[in-house]
Amino acid sequence: MDFSTLKDFIKRYDFSFFLLSIVIFFFGVINLYSATHASISTSHASLYKVQIGWYLLSLVVGFAISFIQPKTYFRFAWLIYGLNVLLLLLVLFVGDTGMGAKRWLVLGPVRVQPSELMKLSVIFILARFYKKYHSEGMTGIKELIFPAILAFIPALLIIVEPDLGTGLLVLLVFFTIAFYRKLKWKTLGVLAIAGVLSGALMYEFALKDYQKRRIKTFLNPSADARGSGYNAIQSKIAIGSGKFWGKGFKNSSQASLNYLPENHTDFVFSIFNEEHGFFGAILTIGLYLFLFFRFVKLASSVSRVFDSIVVIGIMSIFFWHTFINMSMVMGLMPVVGLPLPLMSYGGSSLLTFGICIGVATSISNARNMF
Amino acid sequence: MFSEEEVVRSHKDRADIIITLVTLSFGFILIRLWYLQIYQGDMLYEYSIKNRLRKEVISASRGMIFSRNNQLLVHNVPRFDAIIIPQYLSNKKQTLIKLSEILDMSVSSIEKTLKKYRAQARYRPVLIKKNISKKEVAIIETENEKMPGVSVQTFISREYKDKEIGSHLLGYISEISREQLPKYRKRDGYDYKLGDFIGQAGVEEKFDFFLRGQDGYQFMEVDARGRMKRVISSNNLFQGIENKASTPGKNIRLTIDRDLQQAAFKALEEKVGSVVAIKVDTGEVLSMVSRPSFDPTQFSKGLTAEYWNSLTSNEHNPLRDRVIQEHYAPGSTYKTFTAIAALEEKVVKPTEIIKCGPTFRLGRRVFNDWKRSGHGDTDVYKSLRSSVDVYYYKVAKMMHINDMSKYAKMFGLGSKTEIDLPREIPGLIPTAEWKKKRYGEEWQLGENLVCAIGQGYVLATPIQLAIAYAAIANGGKVYRPQIIKEIFTNSGEVLKTFAPEEVSKVNVSDETLKHVKKGLYQVANHREGTAWWYRGRGIRMAGKTGTAQVRSMTQTELFSKCKDMPYKSRHHGLFVGFAPYDDPKIAVAAVVEHGCGSSAATPVVRDVITKYMKKYHPELHKKYAEEDKIAYLKLVRKEREAREARERAQELKKQQEQKENEENSEEETSDENDSEETN
Repeated sequence: MDFSTLKDFIKRYDFSFFLLSIVIFFFGVINLYSATHASISTSHASLYKVQIGWYLLSLVVGFAISFIQPKTYFRFAWLIYGLNVLLLLLVLFVGDTGMGAKRWLVLGPVRVQPSELMKLSVIFILARFYKKYHSEGMTGIKELIFPAILAFIPALLIIVEPDLGTGLLVLLVFFTIAFYRKLKWKTLGVLAIAGVLSGALMYEFALKDYQKRRIKTFLNPSADARGSGYNAIQSKIAIGSGKFWGKGFKNSSQASLNYLPENHTDFVFSIFNEEHGFFGAILTIGLYLFLFFRFVKLASSVSRVFDSIVVIGIMSIFFWHTFINMSMVMGLMPVVGLPLPLMSYGGSSLLTFGICIGVATSISNARNMF
Repeated sequence: MFSEEEVVRSHKDRADIIITLVTLSFGFILIRLWYLQIYQGDMLYEYSIKNRLRKEVISASRGMIFSRNNQLLVHNVPRFDAIIIPQYLSNKKQTLIKLSEILDMSVSSIEKTLKKYRAQARYRPVLIKKNISKKEVAIIETENEKMPGVSVQTFISREYKDKEIGSHLLGYISEISREQLPKYRKRDGYDYKLGDFIGQAGVEEKFDFFLRGQDGYQFMEVDARGRMKRVISSNNLFQGIENKASTPGKNIRLTIDRDLQQAAFKALEEKVGSVVAIKVDTGEVLSMVSRPSFDPTQFSKGLTAEYWNSLTSNEHNPLRDRVIQEHYAPGSTYKTFTAIAALEEKVVKPTEIIKCGPTFRLGRRVFNDWKRSGHGDTDVYKSLRSSVDVYYYKVAKMMHINDMSKYAKMFGLGSKTEIDLPREIPGLIPTAEWKKKRYGEEWQLGENLVCAIGQGYVLATPIQLAIAYAAIANGGKVYRPQIIKEIFTNSGEVLKTFAPEEVSKVNVSDETLKHVKKGLYQVANHREGTAWWYRGRGIRMAGKTGTAQVRSMTQTELFSKCKDMPYKSRHHGLFVGFAPYDDPKIAVAAVVEHGCGSSAATPVVRDVITKYMKKYHPELHKKYAEEDKIAYLKLVRKEREAREARERAQELKKQQEQKENEENSEEETSDENDSEETN
C-alpha cells in the first residue's frame, strides 16, 4: 500500500478491525488471568503472559500482512492452497502426536498446525474460483461441484487427523461462501438433506470413539462413561451462577476448584459468564456482533468479487468459531473443541485470527486507494 | 456482461440475509443465557456456593492371588488414615487441639504437616496420621460435627501373607509414576491417573490387567464444609448424571505350592541365591524363590525411607529375581549337554573308556582337572558322576562348537523360556558365528574345551536349567514354564484356564537320554558320585553338581581353599536335578552365589524334593526310603566285607612273614566317611 505521508496513512488506513480485536482480546486476557491465577501449577498460572506474547506477535504479523495488495492473494491462491494441502498430508505421516491426534508439524523450534492456516487458504482458492463466474446470476449444483471438491479435500484430511471441529469448520466456511455467492434455495435444500444423511453415515463409520462419545453425551448425557457430561453440567452451573451482574473478577468458584477442565481454552466463556454475568455476556456478544457487521459491510462495499468473497469467508471463520464455542459451553451443542476467537488460550488460533484481521484490513485499505 | 463492481453490489440481498442470520443466532444464545443466568440463576448460584457436586471415585478391589491348593497368598486389607481438607478447616485452633487429643500427637506437629502442604490446592486432603485404630476412626466419625475439615480416609493396602517368601514371583504394587503414565495409557487404553496403584513386578505386573478391575464413580453432593451429603442421581437440574459401580479385579490361582515355597525359602537359609522347582510332565512351576528378598507389603503401604534404603544399599539387590533375571556360568551342570552332544554326534560310545589324567594339553595351553590326581579310566557314566573335566576336554576337542551348542539350544538354553513374568533374560549359548559377530574374531578350539564344562561364554538362568533337566527326565519334551493355573471371578466363575505348553521336542535318541540319565543317577547314588553325601533318603534323586568360577583362576588359586578367598571371588555352587529316577515328577535347579561349590546348592535341591515327595507321594517316599536303607546297609556290609577281606589278606601276608606273631584284636570302627552323611 502506498501512503505518501504519515498523515495520509493515518487518514486512509482502516484501524477499525484491529481496534475491535484488541478490545476483545483485552476482555479475554483479563478473563484468562482470572481463570488461571489460582492454579496449582505455576506454569498454568502464568499462561496469560504467554497469551499476551502470542497476541503481540499476531498483531505484528497481521499489521505486516495488511500492507500486502489483495491482488497478491489472488495470484498465489493456488500455490498457497497446494502447499497447505501438502502440509496436511505431511502431518498425517510425520506429524507430532498430541493428545492422541496428529495435528502438529515440527519445524525446528516451531510447531505448526497446518489445519489452522487451511481455513484461510480455502477462502482464497474459493474466492478465486468464484470470481471466474463473474456474473449476477444464481449458482446451482453445477457451479458447486468444483469448489466442493476444493473444500472437501482439506476438510477430510483434517477430520482424519483427527480434528473434527476444524474439519467441519472448513466445510461451514465453504457453505457460507457458496450461500453468499447466490446458491439457489432449491440446491440449498437438497444439500441440507444430503448433509444430514452423510453426517449420519460419518457418525456410523468415520468417527473415533471419543468423538462419538461426545455426541452421545450431548444427545443423552446419561450414556456418558467418562464424565464429559459432568463438564457440561459444571459449565452450566458456572454460567448460571453468574446471574445478572456476575460474581466479579477473580471470584469464579468453579474455576478455582478445578471443576472445569480446560477452563483456559474451550471453556473460557463459562468463567467469563460466572464472573461478569448476563451483563458481561451482552457486552461481549455486542462486540463480536459489531465485528461481524463491519466485515459484512466491507464485503458489500469493495469493488472486486474476489475481495468481497474473501471478507465474507473471514467473517464466517469468526462467526462459526464464536457461535459454536458459545453454544457448546452452555450445553446447546456437543463438545467439539473450537476456541473462542481472541479469548481462548492458544498461540496457533491467535495467529490465525491476527492474519485474518490483517487480510481484511488490507482489503479495506485497497478500497480507499482509488 | 456486468462490471465487476455491479456484480459485488448484486450480492447485497445475500449479505442482508447473512447479517440477519448472525443476529438471530446470537439472539438465540442470549435467550439461553437469560434462561441459565436469570431464570435458573438463583438456583445455580446457590448450588455453586453452598453445595458442590463432587465426583467420587469408587476404587475397584484388586484381585486376590492363591496357591495351587487354594491357599490365600495375597489379599487386600483396609487401612484408615486421618486427613484434613484445608479448604473446609474452620475454627482451626480448637479443631487441631481436639484432633491432637484423639490421635495422641502434638498440635505443632499437625501444624507442621499442614504447612508442608500449603502450596497444594486447598481442596486436596492432607494426610495427618496413617493407619489409625478402629477406635480413633469411631471417635473422629462421631465428633465430626465439631471438627470441620477433619475426616477419615479409607485406604486399601495389599497384604502378602508370606512376606518375603516368593515376593519376586508375586511382585508388588506401587503408585504409577509420571513416566509410566503416558506409556501405560497407550498400552492398555485405560485412563490411569496419578495415584493409581499398578503392579510393578512379578505376577502383579504381568497380570495387572486382570487383577486391577475397573474403578467406578458416583456423584456426591458436598456441603460447604466438604462433608458428603448424599449421592446424586439424575434430576431436573442435573439431567443425565449416572453413577457407575466398580468392577472388582479377577483372582488368580497359581501353580505354586505354598508349602514347597516355604521349604525352598528355608533351605536357602541366608545365602544369596535361588531355587526353582517345576513339574517334569507339565512345566508347572511349583516353587520359585530368590534370596535376599523383600516384603512387598511395604510397597503398597507406601515405602518408608528406611526400608527403601535398606533395599537399595544391599549390594545383593534384593529386588532382582535370581531365577529369571540373573544368569550364571552353568559350570559342570552343562556337562550333561556336552555328553548328549558327544553321544549323538557319535564322538564316543557310552561304554568307551577314555584315559583321563590330571591335565589335558592343547597346544601350549594346559587344562586342569578339578581332581589333582586325575580320574583314570572313564566312561560316560563316570564322567558325569565324578564330573571328569578331562573327559569333556577330550570329547569337546573332537566336535565343532556349533554341534555342541545345537543340543543345548534344543533343550531351551540360550533363549527366554517365555515364563509369564516380566524382564526375563535369555542367557547365552555361543556359536562360532555369534563370536564372529560379537567380537569379530574366529572361534578357537580352546574355547570348545572351556564351553564343554560350562564356563567361558556359556550362561544360563536357573529356570532354563530346570526346564532343560525336566526335558531330560521326561523323554525330551521342553515346556514353557507355567505359573498360572486359572483366572476366576469372586463368584467362582473361571474366566481362563491355562494349560501346559510343550514348546518343542528335542531331537535326541531315547538311548542317549537313557545313558545320560543313568550317569545323573549315579551322581547322587554311586559311592563315587559328587552328590553322594547329599543324596537324601527316599527321593531317588538324579542330577548334576556344578561349580561356576566367577573369574579365571591361577593354578594355585584353583586348588586353594575357597573359603579363604574374598567373598566376591568365591565360586558359585549349582545343582540341577530331578526325582524320582524311575518315574520323574519334579525337577529342581538351585544356585548359591559365592557358595564355594555345589555342596551349598545340593542340599537345597534335596530339601525341596524331599518336601515334595513327602507331601504328594508319601507312599512312594516311604517305599523308597525303606529300599534306600536296605541298599545302603547292603553297601556298607559289602564295603566292610571287602575291607575285612583286604585286611585279612594283608594279615595273612604278615602272618606268613612273621609266623610267630600273636593274633591282633579285630576292633572295628565304623566307616569313617559315614559320619559325614547328613539326613
